Amino acid sequence: MKNKKTMFISILLAFLLILAFSSPSMAGETYKIGFSGAITGTTSDVGVPYSKAIEDYCRYVNDDKLLGDDKLECLIRDDGYETEKTKRNFEDFMDEGIVFYLNYSTGSSLAMGKDFDEEKIPTITASYHAGNLAVSNYAFLPIVSYTSQAIALAEYLVANHKGDTAQVAMFIHPSAFGRAPVEDLQKAIAGGLKMDIVEVVEHGKDLDNTAMLQRWMNKKVQYVICQTVQPPVATMLKSAQGLGVIAGTYGEAGKLTFLGLHYAGGPDLVALAGSAAEGFFWTTSYKLMTEGGAGTDAQHALAKRYGRDEATANSQNYTNGVQVIQIAVETMIRAKAKGKKITRQALYEEMLAMNGYNAYYPLTTVGPVTYSKTDRQGVDMLQLYRCQNGVFRPVGLPFAFTAK
Amino acid sequence: MAQNRWLATGNFFTTYREEQRIFLTHLDRLLFVGLLVGLFVWPLFLEVGNKYMLVIDNILIAMVAILGLNLLTGFAGLISIGHAAFVGVGAYTVASFSRMLGDTHVLLTHAWPLMILLAGGVGAVVGAFVGLPALRLKHLYLAIATLSFQMIFQWTINFMEFFNQGQTISIGRVSWFSGRVARQEHYLFWYYVCLVIVVISGLAVRNLLRTRYGRCLVAVRDNDRAADAMGMHPGFTKVYAFALSGFFAGVAGALHAYLFRGAGFESFTLHQSISYLAMAIVGGLGTLVGSFFGPTAMIMLDLQVENLSEFFKAQFSAALDLATALRPLTFGLVIVLFLMFEPRGIANWWRIVRSYIKLWPFRY
Repeated sequence: MKNKKTMFISILLAFLLILAFSSPSMAGETYKIGFSGAITGTTSDVGVPYSKAIEDYCRYVNDDKLLGDDKLECLIRDDGYETEKTKRNFEDFMDEGIVFYLNYSTGSSLAMGKDFDEEKIPTITASYHAGNLAVSNYAFLPIVSYTSQAIALAEYLVANHKGDTAQVAMFIHPSAFGRAPVEDLQKAIAGGLKMDIVEVVEHGKDLDNTAMLQRWMNKKVQYVICQTVQPPVATMLKSAQGLGVIAGTYGEAGKLTFLGLHYAGGPDLVALAGSAAEGFFWTTSYKLMTEGGAGTDAQHALAKRYGRDEATANSQNYTNGVQVIQIAVETMIRAKAKGKKITRQALYEEMLAMNGYNAYYPLTTVGPVTYSKTDRQGVDMLQLYRCQNGVFRPVGLPFAFTAK
Repeated sequence: MAQNRWLATGNFFTTYREEQRIFLTHLDRLLFVGLLVGLFVWPLFLEVGNKYMLVIDNILIAMVAILGLNLLTGFAGLISIGHAAFVGVGAYTVASFSRMLGDTHVLLTHAWPLMILLAGGVGAVVGAFVGLPALRLKHLYLAIATLSFQMIFQWTINFMEFFNQGQTISIGRVSWFSGRVARQEHYLFWYYVCLVIVVISGLAVRNLLRTRYGRCLVAVRDNDRAADAMGMHPGFTKVYAFALSGFFAGVAGALHAYLFRGAGFESFTLHQSISYLAMAIVGGLGTLVGSFFGPTAMIMLDLQVENLSEFFKAQFSAALDLATALRPLTFGLVIVLFLMFEPRGIANWWRIVRSYIKLWPFRY
């Protein structure tokens, strides 16, 4: 009888011990972040490395316990660049109880701005369309807007152009993403920027752009500003190379000098266009993997750790993805440090407080990430790069530029 | 001999009117009413997340659109590969008012049933206009004409400033007797609206098919010359088939715009037209129930493949690209398999199931 009683107490104690150690309260909280992006379909060249970066960094946060005992769960969904699917994914994420949302396309960011506001969820978009900030108070851009990039590039173009008014063509994506900076650039010209936009071309899925380039040559176009993703730019550059119209030096007479905004250039462009990318001018707020440094080394290590290939590791879109989730995680770390419960509102407050001494330095950008109630564009610095011998090299120093 | 209207065993039709009854027995009618009651009350007992309510609402909207496409392609035999554009006409009718009057104008937020009807009307007019080539064109040539309409629609929306160059034109939240429909009730509210419209549309199509106008559609499909010889007007029939199809598509478009609180170009592309056609084929062309089965099957399939992709992605993260390729692959595969092995669609399976359990007209 006594043995039975001892055995019963032992089993009970063992059960209680197991229960105590497996209790959820001991295991910490789980915070959910949702990402909906184009892993397939239009612009998936950008979306794939972007989503892989989010996935990898999320694993890194948990593996290296960046949130202590708490866990980060990243819900990554493909939307095929379709707003309807993005909306469905968003609703799914809200049902799952996410505290931070990462969106992708310009179209869906503009369409769902009111949802972000109604749900009061801090959202970082992969789209740098300035209009995102107008439709939602909860939308944030990771770096300066397309408008700022385009005007900065145009100012550089004009400042370094010799001769009469610069003749410029724009080569843009046939969507809200591509059209984003056109109107603002035209306003800047009306405001005194000394250049003419000769033609704005919304590209299709052409495999050759010879006719378009010859038309531009006939119209005396000297510069081409690209606002699209890399594959169409690569096609155009190859056609230009075939015609022998790529400028050897900046603004070379009778030739075309190509310039591009963030998604138009970078190492991914070199991989696609090869030698045709030589001399391409490109602006972004990110440091390049080819440059070396603490941030880029860390990114290489991250990609290697989770089995990514060299092309993914070197992609600036991988850097983008890492940066946006870094910002989200940083808000969590800061909120936790202040003893706040991790909620959408707490993270939103941390986003708005990310300025001055509280600016965030992700190491992969050319300047700090700063947000406030009046500034929801993250990195306010831009760097100009030029492709030389198959590698994009910095031209001058990073400069601050935010179009108002 | 007194007829048993509950089981109707042993009864035979003695008039055409009897044959044209919507419900052959009281039991059929009771089951239908039971189904309707079930559809209306289940949300009160089951809590479903917004994602799934959105999916269900989407299915109901697709049903309205497919009812139109089925009338045109299934019953009248006129192939249309521009149906998404007709749906887009409805959505952009509502969006145009939003653009002109503002997205919170009372006409949009309070008179929304009127807007939905108006969108249907505009869809019908555009449908009739696009249907004019059907007076002279048939088969592949007509398909190309509808494809042209799809292209013209896309171009117009994508490049015209008035339509915001394809970017979403937002539409404000609607109001009901209880006040403004808040975000929490949005999907449930539109579930009921869509359901009512699906029921009314379904009954309307069922009734149409009992009339001479409905029989004209089938006659023209089977042999328009013979129909002409029988005193029907094939040209008029084809044009009103397009108009009717456009009406349903327009209503579906308006519902879509209200559900998504905006109209954007991406929802009405050629890809979507092909999806609609796939829904009609998988459901069963030329059958009323096929219009309900097709959208349900295709949208749920898409969702399940997506879940499967998620599962693969979670298990083997390196295989992410492979997992996401599952969706387009399954979409194509399902259509090919249905065309090869079950061209009459799911509606045929439904017919077979019913034939197993029905007693009428015999006792055994």
